[in-house]
Amino acid sequence: MNFNDFGIDSASMAGSLETRLAAARQAGFSQMMISATDIVGHPSSTDAAVRAIRDSGLRVTGLEALRDFEGLTGKMHDYKLDVAKSMLVLCHRIGGRLLLTEASASTHADVDPEKIARDLRKLSFLALPMGIRIAFKSFSWSRTVNNFSAAAEIVSLANCPNLGLAIDAFDVIAAGVPLDDLDLILPQQIFLVQLSDFMLQEIRSTEEQAAMASHFRVFPGEGAHSEELAKFIVKLEEIGYFGDYSFDVYNSDYLQMPAESIAARARRAADWLGETVLRRTLPVPNMERLRRVGAD
Amino acid sequence: MTNATDRESVPEPPNPIGMDGIEFIEFTTSRPQALGGVLERMGFRPIARHRSREVELYRQGTMNIIINSQATDIPRTVEPIERPIISALAIRVRDADAAYRKALDLGAWEIPVRARALELNIPGIHGVGESLIYFVDRYDEFSIYDIDFRAIPGVDPNPPAIAGLDFFGIVQYVGIDRTNDWTEFYSQIFGFVAIPDTVRFGIMPRGLLLQSPCKKFYLQLIEPDGAAQYAPIEEQLQRIGLGTPDVIAAASELEKRGIEFLTTDKVHTSERGALTKAVLGGVMFELVHAEAGEAKSLS
Repeated sequence: MNFNDFGIDSASMAGSLETRLAAARQAGFSQMMISATDIVGHPSSTDAAVRAIRDSGLRVTGLEALRDFEGLTGKMHDYKLDVAKSMLVLCHRIGGRLLLTEASASTHADVDPEKIARDLRKLSFLALPMGIRIAFKSFSWSRTVNNFSAAAEIVSLANCPNLGLAIDAFDVIAAGVPLDDLDLILPQQIFLVQLSDFMLQEIRSTEEQAAMASHFRVFPGEGAHSEELAKFIVKLEEIGYFGDYSFDVYNSDYLQMPAESIAARARRAADWLGETVLRRTLPVPNMERLRRVGAD
Repeated sequence: MTNATDRESVPEPPNPIGMDGIEFIEFTTSRPQALGGVLERMGFRPIARHRSREVELYRQGTMNIIINSQATDIPRTVEPIERPIISALAIRVRDADAAYRKALDLGAWEIPVRARALELNIPGIHGVGESLIYFVDRYDEFSIYDIDFRAIPGVDPNPPAIAGLDFFGIVQYVGIDRTNDWTEFYSQIFGFVAIPDTVRFGIMPRGLLLQSPCKKFYLQLIEPDGAAQYAPIEEQLQRIGLGTPDVIAAASELEKRGIEFLTTDKVHTSERGALTKAVLGGVMFELVHAEAGEAKSLS
């Protein structure tokens, strides 16, 4: 089992940043997805939060999330560019190598794929000197990029080496996206895969999906879609995905439970996936795992 | 993912900002005299001092090197530390302001005006690590040094070059799997082009070579290998390459002046090139065989 491939999302747990970092570490995780609000919302200072993350011994899976960035013009474009720069600096300070960027849901955003690709290219270029990769993620309520296939088209159009995809299993399963769609994605285009399940057998309305997505997610193995989730991950492995898996379990109930017990649930999920579903081989150091052996 | 070498197939690589070689390379250190001593042994002469800052100009033939020891308090710019680092690369372009605006439009990071080494309005962007890249368009009729610098009295402002030395290129260390990223950076902003792996200069064969659109300058991108892969990434401009038609003569003259060259089984002085021993915590120069004009017309 390669447990190092799995990370927990800080937004899955309650408590101070330090508490959550310690809980993740105690459960045996070596990486954690960090939210920008974890850092700037720290009660002492941004510096203290940066220090806590750097001293935690955990690798930063990535920083989340830049939202509604692309497709804007004039002053709104400049404003979002400033927001993006600020997030990149933050990501750099915590030693992060990936910025999660969600497709725009803004009704003011241009839907022209060329414009979207151009903006993402600029974002990627800004991130480039810092060694940060942009993981572009579809958003179910985006007018243009609402599934990973659409996101992949934009990424191909933008054609920048540090721009790729983040795929959220929840979106795939909730929307019933056929797994064969993954066949059209190049594995090296996928920078991050987020994993979570939910309790309902089926989702009947977009309102229900929105509520599920932000409040009622559960860890893989705990929900009603274990089999679909397992198939999804096996498919990713088949096409050659070699990156990180992050548990983005947003659950209001879990935020009323101790961080340690949530981290332990995440650990169980990782064990289930690693031992039962994936059977990934022996762990290697984090940095090295991203390198495609024999690719050069 | 785009393969960097795909770009070789472009028949006549464009020169989008009219790049025309290197105006100067800047080092930053809190001990300018120690580095100045090394530069003098390498054949450079101090010719001018900045009027208001702790900045000195060294010259040899066509090459300008600036030593900056000015303390600065601007974040994300270079604080002088004892160990000299290559802190800036000034590139000659057709229209500095246009080149700068184009770079910003692509997504380069601008640098605050006060952080600039010189007081002239030289636009610049962030490069690798903590280094900066300046765009200079005044190098024909009068130079940027005429205004900011005061000549050192009694010194030849144009000291000749040893064995025809001139700037050949810079070696940049990059992180793992970062060659494509930096190739994108230099090709988009400046029009650098990756050259085929079969074309090699000098005695240090690793990495990817990028040729400037003016064909006067090379960047060599080197990823870590071996145990260095597990170390934290430290991307930086690592060393300057100097071109000469006669490496042996240049090395022999520099040895007389007190420069030591590496003589290991793998790396030793030959007609193809030579590498100086690291001094002051990592400063080294590489000599590369280049016929005047010959290597540079390669494409």
